Amino acid sequence: MNVLALDFPPITHLFEWPDILFNGTWYAVNKTSLIYMAAVVITAAIFLSAGRKKTSLVPVGVQHVAEAGVNFIEESVVMETIGPEGKKYMPFLTTMFFFILFSNIFEVIPGIQFPANSRMAVPITLALVVWLIYNFVGIRSQGLVGYFKNSLFPPGVPKALYLIVTPIELVSTFVVRPFSLAIRLWANMVAGHLLLVTFAILTAALWDATYVGAVAPFAMLILMTGFEILVSVLQAFIFTILTAVYIGGSLHPAH
Amino acid sequence: MVASLVSLMSIVAFAGPASASGESVGSCVAEKFEESLHHHQGESDHVTSEDIHHVAHDEAVQDELEACLEAPSPILPELTEIIWGGAAFLILLVIMVKKGFPAVKGAMDARSEKIRADLDAAEQAKTDAQAVQSDYEAQLADAKTESARIIEEARVTADQLRTDLSVQAEASIAEMREKAAADVEAQKAQAIADLRAEVSGIALGAAERVVQSSLDADAQARLIDAYIDEVTGSNG
Repeated sequence: MNVLALDFPPITHLFEWPDILFNGTWYAVNKTSLIYMAAVVITAAIFLSAGRKKTSLVPVGVQHVAEAGVNFIEESVVMETIGPEGKKYMPFLTTMFFFILFSNIFEVIPGIQFPANSRMAVPITLALVVWLIYNFVGIRSQGLVGYFKNSLFPPGVPKALYLIVTPIELVSTFVVRPFSLAIRLWANMVAGHLLLVTFAILTAALWDATYVGAVAPFAMLILMTGFEILVSVLQAFIFTILTAVYIGGSLHPAH
Repeated sequence: MVASLVSLMSIVAFAGPASASGESVGSCVAEKFEESLHHHQGESDHVTSEDIHHVAHDEAVQDELEACLEAPSPILPELTEIIWGGAAFLILLVIMVKKGFPAVKGAMDARSEKIRADLDAAEQAKTDAQAVQSDYEAQLADAKTESARIIEEARVTADQLRTDLSVQAEASIAEMREKAAADVEAQKAQAIADLRAEVSGIALGAAERVVQSSLDADAQARLIDAYIDEVTGSNG
């Protein structure tokens, strides 16, 4: 694709990867799948290694990472959104945070440079899992009728407004929510990857043409790489905290 | 950690560059055109310019070539990625729920508990030390009061003793002085009596021998006493 005299690769070339193993089968493995596996291995390695170390007064090595993560999820996610009764969801939320974070962060790892969540597979899968969980939690804690009544007819709203509010709540809570959750993560990672690719191509093209002209896009590339690290962490946090907010909403109906 | 490094290296090693993914628009067009050309020429081995012209102007072939430009929607999830991604998350969730999370959280809780216990123990030790300090301070205050009391008592006793001794000494001195005076007086009287007896004896003897008179003893004694009184009166 030729954009402004630059040879920009077609969009599919930036996000679709050829099969590496089991080519053509339903269980074919590509780069995206490998990144997900790496996210599992890294997260499990950190936590198992941290858990195996002897408890010391001052945490050392990977204990820092694992404990800071757990502490962060507990203090900034669970206690802020659900409260003490949300602690039983901490293993799920911690797993989700680290899995998304490591899947995202490969965006800036040299030699890999691809955020696995810029593919829709995992964001939509996780969002549907979240949808199932918060609906299940809501039905279990409030009862089937109570949950739907509290969700669709929020207390305190003038009765006439239910004509407008109820359809909006129905669509937003039960239909749009998982897709908004998935698309927020996916679109952010797609945009980040496109930004990095754009500045990388600009840098390469201007280096070939003028050398000096490459300085500005290269500086932007460095800047955007730092920014994308922030986005990777932030998106993992947003996905996790929204999950906690939805679970909290199902546990405590609006008064 | 080694596992993490191996997994990272495997991604770098196995995953090709982005440009290797799928087919490019150009290769797709070339492939479709070649397919259509083969299809058109059938059994014939040679491709004529007419064949090329025919295929190039065939609307069905043009539609097929246009399809090459339509990229698949990047928003639609790939089944294989859903399977691997979902399975990966599930496996991680099981590992974390069963082992990883409880181990880390347990260690954190144990540390918090230890710190809390240590703080409690320190607080208890501080309270104990403060109690001991208060005790010592109270004892010290008692001791000071007691020592002051003892000193005061000793002082009072000493004063009393001094006064008593002084009074006693003065009384003894007065007594001794009186006794001495009485002794002197008695000895003086005795000495006078003795002297008087001696003098009277001597005078009597002398008078007897001188006078040789027949005065009886009483008359002699009266005379002598009168004499002595005279003498003492003249001496005194």
